[in-house]
Amino acid sequence: MTDYTRQEMMAIATGREIRDGELAIFGVGLSMLAGFFAQAHHAPHVRAMTEGGVYGATPMGGLPWGIECNRISSNATSFTNALDALGFLVASGRCDVGIIGAAQVDKFGNVNTTGIWDGDIGDHYRPPKTRLTGAGGANDIACGAKRTIIMVTHEPKRFAEKVSYISSPGYLEGGDARARFGFVGGGPAAIVTTLGILRPDPISKEFRLDQWFAFSSIDEIKANTGWDLKVSPEAHMAPEPSPTELSALRLVDETGALRKKG
Amino acid sequence: MSASKLISLAEAVRRFSWDGMQYASGAALPVGSDAIVFGRELLRQNRRDLHAIFHCNTQQLNLLAAAGAVSKAECGFSGLEVFGFANGLRRAVESGQLALEDYSNLAMPLRLLAGALGWPFAPATVNIGSDIQHRSAFAPDQYPATAKIPTVIDPFSGREIGALSPLTPDVAAIHVTLADDQGNSIMLGSEWSRFELSRAAKKVVLIADAIVDTACMRQFPNLVRIPDIVVEAVVHWPFAAWPQGSPGLYDIDEDHMVHMNKALATEDGTAAYVRDFVHAYDDVDSYLEMIGRDKIDRLSQTSTGFLLDPFRQWIVQ
Repeated sequence: MTDYTRQEMMAIATGREIRDGELAIFGVGLSMLAGFFAQAHHAPHVRAMTEGGVYGATPMGGLPWGIECNRISSNATSFTNALDALGFLVASGRCDVGIIGAAQVDKFGNVNTTGIWDGDIGDHYRPPKTRLTGAGGANDIACGAKRTIIMVTHEPKRFAEKVSYISSPGYLEGGDARARFGFVGGGPAAIVTTLGILRPDPISKEFRLDQWFAFSSIDEIKANTGWDLKVSPEAHMAPEPSPTELSALRLVDETGALRKKG
Repeated sequence: MSASKLISLAEAVRRFSWDGMQYASGAALPVGSDAIVFGRELLRQNRRDLHAIFHCNTQQLNLLAAAGAVSKAECGFSGLEVFGFANGLRRAVESGQLALEDYSNLAMPLRLLAGALGWPFAPATVNIGSDIQHRSAFAPDQYPATAKIPTVIDPFSGREIGALSPLTPDVAAIHVTLADDQGNSIMLGSEWSRFELSRAAKKVVLIADAIVDTACMRQFPNLVRIPDIVVEAVVHWPFAAWPQGSPGLYDIDEDHMVHMNKALATEDGTAAYVRDFVHAYDDVDSYLEMIGRDKIDRLSQTSTGFLLDPFRQWIVQ
């Protein structure tokens, strides 16, 4: 078996969710590596954009520092703006797939990237104990993209029964709760983690275990999930990265950001 | 041609800023083009109690917040992308010294668009249903918040949507790659929301990395997204976005991004940073000396340099 890291498996599993020809929006860091891995491996015609309105570019010279930085500005075919990328192409419902990250995610795929409070916030809004980055474009992608993929490190503290703050909506209270708001986007299709893949139950929209990785197990995943995780009847082990997948990923991840063990 | 609008940075801050103002900047996401040097000058002139409108946090807002100059801020994103959490802003928010009102990265340009058009509000199909709508740092006693993104009915479909409030900041300091002395300007790289901001703000000051002859604008009028008629003043300041990057001109200074964010994590670190990198220069030359000539040369070797090629012949300073 080829040696690979959990982070690499997560990036490959996320990339497998992206289909050729799709209009896709990537964030910075892991999400961008997963997206450009898909483009290098099985989705050469993916139409990639960033939320700042950088089109047609592939990163050069290492992992971009940000989604508008020079490393993704040296071979772009179009530069526009946020209103265009996040508005005209995402909020409108045209974007097929978006990849977003999470500090905390709950069983209905709601994402918190705003802050960590000691206990419930309560009726009076108060500053978080630990302030995080805020929603960024993820809220807009979560509302507008046809489907979203959530990438998150699998740890109990990150997988909560209920997030303390919904920065980006998943299925809210579950079922058809999204319909109340008429979101044009379909909601999260998968939560891809460092241990496996969770997918929503078609009716309740509660996320269940769908795939584990060769190095993980159902027990390990359940132990690292902060709610009583159900296992899908079709749950199975995800195929290990193929040599071509790994070499495509490592070409994209030229600085080895994902190869650091940890 | 009218008189030149070129003025010094110190004069721009003297004329176009005051305590308690609504100040907008933060040009191109957290690590890109931004008028950071304007923020340094705000500190040099001891401006306080700012209400910051930043589409995204940048090292400018991180610095201003760390130094205690900001009491309110509205942002779509408040981190520093690959460089992590913005320690200065974070410290100010966690201590309760700064009230940070959260929106998303689409909500902010929609609010600027509403401000620019004179619309009473922009209809929101995003941010609704999440705690961005339900929680307000500016009205903490309301839960769910009713004044931040109130629910309104779409008169055509009957659907419930949100109303985003318009933004019309008192002054916007906008970083551009190239400007002429009249205030016509060209941005290389993602515009982010500088176009909307330039129309929403009551007054616009451009901070340009380089000054070009107006003939350049006449050659590329389609690229002049911020024209002179909406601009009050132009400041020429090379490496104005440092330590962030400016496509076509210079890359991000990774070492300083890390150093700066680490310093802003504490009060002592911030005081040392302000001493060493805010009060340590008197003019453009000593500013560039402070960054270091070797570093200036290295950061200028950007792979995006070719983006500037069509414009180089018109650069006058």
